[in-house]
Amino acid sequence: MTLSKIRTFLNEIRPGAAPLDVARLAPTRDERLFLVLSIFIGVISGLLVVSFRVAIEWIKILTLGAAPHAGQYRLFFVPAIAGLVAALLVHFAFPAARGSGVNQTKAALYIYNGYISFKTVIGKFITAAIAIGGGHSLGPEDPSLQIGAGVASIVARKLGLSRQKLRLVAPIGAAAGLAAAFNAPISAILFVIEEVIGQWSAAVLGSIVLAAISSVVVARRFWGSQPMFRIPAVTLRDSRELIAYAVLGVIGGFVAILFSRSLGYLRPRLRAMPRWTHIAQPAVAGLLVGAIGFIGFPQVMGSGYGAMDHAMHGEFAWKFLLLLALFKLVATTLSFSSGTPGGMFAPTLFIGAMLGAGVGSFEKWFFPHLTGTVGAYALVGMGVLFAGFLRVPLTSVFMVLEVSGNYSIILPVIVANTIAYLISRTFQRVPVFEMFAYQDGLDLPSLEEQREETPLHIEDAVEPLGVPVAQGEDSLAEVAAAMAEAKASAFLVQLADNSWYAMTVDELTTAVTALAQETRMEQAVKPDRVPTLFPDMPLDTALPYFPRWPLLPVLNRASRGKLEGVISLNGVLKRYQSF
Amino acid sequence: MAVTETHAPLSAEERAEKRKLMLRDAIALISLFILTAALAIVTYALFASFTRHRDALARRWQATGERELREGHPTQAVDALSSALEYGPGRRDIEIELASALAAAGRNREATAYFNSLLDAQPGNGEIHLDLARIAAKEGNATLAEEHYQRALDGTWEGDGYVRRRNVRLEMAGYLISREDYTRAQTELRTASGNAPNDPAIQLQIAFLMEQARDPLDALNIYRSQIRRRDATADTFEGLGRTAYALGWITTARDALQVATVTRGFTAQSKTARDAVRQMLADATHILDLYPSPDLKVRARAIRVLNAAKTARSRLSGCFASANVSGEMADLQNKWTQVPARLSVSVLERDPQLEQTTISLVYETEQQTAQTCGAPTGDDALLLKIAQAPLAVRQ
Repeated sequence: MTLSKIRTFLNEIRPGAAPLDVARLAPTRDERLFLVLSIFIGVISGLLVVSFRVAIEWIKILTLGAAPHAGQYRLFFVPAIAGLVAALLVHFAFPAARGSGVNQTKAALYIYNGYISFKTVIGKFITAAIAIGGGHSLGPEDPSLQIGAGVASIVARKLGLSRQKLRLVAPIGAAAGLAAAFNAPISAILFVIEEVIGQWSAAVLGSIVLAAISSVVVARRFWGSQPMFRIPAVTLRDSRELIAYAVLGVIGGFVAILFSRSLGYLRPRLRAMPRWTHIAQPAVAGLLVGAIGFIGFPQVMGSGYGAMDHAMHGEFAWKFLLLLALFKLVATTLSFSSGTPGGMFAPTLFIGAMLGAGVGSFEKWFFPHLTGTVGAYALVGMGVLFAGFLRVPLTSVFMVLEVSGNYSIILPVIVANTIAYLISRTFQRVPVFEMFAYQDGLDLPSLEEQREETPLHIEDAVEPLGVPVAQGEDSLAEVAAAMAEAKASAFLVQLADNSWYAMTVDELTTAVTALAQETRMEQAVKPDRVPTLFPDMPLDTALPYFPRWPLLPVLNRASRGKLEGVISLNGVLKRYQSF
Repeated sequence: MAVTETHAPLSAEERAEKRKLMLRDAIALISLFILTAALAIVTYALFASFTRHRDALARRWQATGERELREGHPTQAVDALSSALEYGPGRRDIEIELASALAAAGRNREATAYFNSLLDAQPGNGEIHLDLARIAAKEGNATLAEEHYQRALDGTWEGDGYVRRRNVRLEMAGYLISREDYTRAQTELRTASGNAPNDPAIQLQIAFLMEQARDPLDALNIYRSQIRRRDATADTFEGLGRTAYALGWITTARDALQVATVTRGFTAQSKTARDAVRQMLADATHILDLYPSPDLKVRARAIRVLNAAKTARSRLSGCFASANVSGEMADLQNKWTQVPARLSVSVLERDPQLEQTTISLVYETEQQTAQTCGAPTGDDALLLKIAQAPLAVRQ
């Protein structure tokens, strides 16, 4: 083989070479590759997220010092400089790195066919690391989610997957990135399903699970397998304590609304300001966040996980905890609204933890006979804000369980989260990520609405049996006589093997003309049979069969020979129109 | 219901294309694997460097916190240990130190909450119970303090649990003494003494606490056992002298104190401490000079009884002049009237019964006047000391 032939051959087989008719050459290739790629996506996302968090910590140590505390002048200017640098990078080099990353991932899924550029991934990594490490009140989880989605997108493109698979791959990477950031695979999977995909899709669920598990395995190799927060097992010795958790749910619900509305108020106003100010805004926000740290609340700077741990150990008095929650809310509103790249998860958890610990400390102080630990309240508080602010009720419950490794807390979490979620839904119609999408001019689907939609089932369109039913052994003459008497346009035939056939009168007339009078119905019908339908099946399952069949029998799952009723095209359409 | 589709067989050209596709995918996956491996190596290097730095920071801040705590700067210790914990998350030793620093900084509520949350994770941790006991003691919550001290004794300890438990017991005894619960303090100290090794420092500490718990006899026994050691220090002899003096064993006290003043370590003590020892020695010596010991010759004893009687009578007269006289005092004076007014050495020599009556009356007078007219001074004080345990003086 000559050198030129080798070169030609290599050129042909390199990834990204001229497209082949994959569907014809290897129809199952994408499905198989998809699973393998899920593992690669998980591992690479895990590695990148570990590096991302290390980068944040390094930047924090190098800029804010090893132990930032109130009164240090560097607290003033470091977040401002970090904000300015991040803004310049976003403005001139990585415009897609702006924001948290959740909506950007959803946009990739719903608008850009799963496309997230390599530049965006790099930009998100660098700018978010600078901003969070430099003290802006933002978290690393949402950027990790976008980094993971970006990795998935890049890998899938390089492998030349189909457009359909490219679109599906972004959520897989998102789950991997989030799982590595949280060290919580189940929560990450649920979040992606609740907030990114919006539905349980069997086509992608296996890959999401594989990617999330792979990334968590990688992350745990570095950070260890212990949960993010450690609190002792929670025992509800007195059921009255649930009232205290319910109160926390109420408070959390209203604080979530306040947080949402603060962002909803400030963010569009800052975005509407002249374009040149967009570079200055993160710097000014950094200055204000730094001022909060300088005057005595350095805990609000950065992601704040250390302070959350202190709060869980009851290190802060309840008044200080409530002040921390308030200042974190202000600082995060400033940082995020200014367009500084960074996430909302950690601040949400922070505010929730402080609120929870505050309520817990208050209770311990004034009602010492109730037994809950401050740590338990802080954890429940996290879930409460998560449920109320991010509006992901299922994720909020599992997130608390996973980050604490403590399943004994589930009852208070469910009680408090449900209350917070309901309050937030009642008083804040639009969820926060949806609100950001509108502000950014994106028309992304409302996944909260999708989650709550009730699809129609066959039982919703089923009609009582109003047509004659013939048996397979009946003769054509007998059936023709019965039809003439019934004056029905169609009827059902039950065959010996319990299968069914739906016949129109025209078809019967043709059969009577062509065949002998004594011919049995099972010999007169065509070889195909009506599909087997049950009342619980989605209504749209029936639609494809109507051009062929005039009506469809609906059977009982317990007894196939027994009819529940029939559905007709007209009945189905009427049901959809009245939905 | 599965749908089976049939496809037309691939042509030769298509089969070649398929092979290329498979090769392309294989190369892509191998490239991906290599890229992943390279990324893993870079991440490992970055993380290892970060972990080293983080560990170093945790150690440095922990050391700073411990130093600040030792130097009595608990507020700075809290800051330093909080930083240490940030770089060494989940480190139980740092967490306990931080909680201790919070307590030392007077942030009792936070410290208690912190310790309680640590305790929830380790319910039987002796060290945490000890710290909670100290906080409760500081806040004057005696019941809680004693409860935590007891749990600290029963709890688990890392390292040398035996030594730590003994220290807790001694600390608890000290706390009980401060609350004047001497009986329970004595019980704890006897337990500690029974389990303690024959280490002079520990034995002396226990004996000293026993003295404070008003258990001079047990303390004396410990001191006595310790002076047999060749390396017995002045502290040991002083302790023996003090406890013997408290018990009224004046002879032992004098002997021990005399030895103490010439034993190594005495001169290294503060002047106040040395003066106190010397004063006690002088008192002991003087008591022995006053004491009408049965071992003395008859005349010498009669002289001492006569002097004691004069001192006591004078004390009684003075007391009568300065205070309201009770019925008991009047009885006492009546008793003195039965003693011959012109009492002399020769009379006492001839009448042992009178001598005995007189010395008993002396002791009674000193005790009665001490109750009525306050603590005596001078020889009266020394006679009172003898009066408290006349037979013990010779010991």
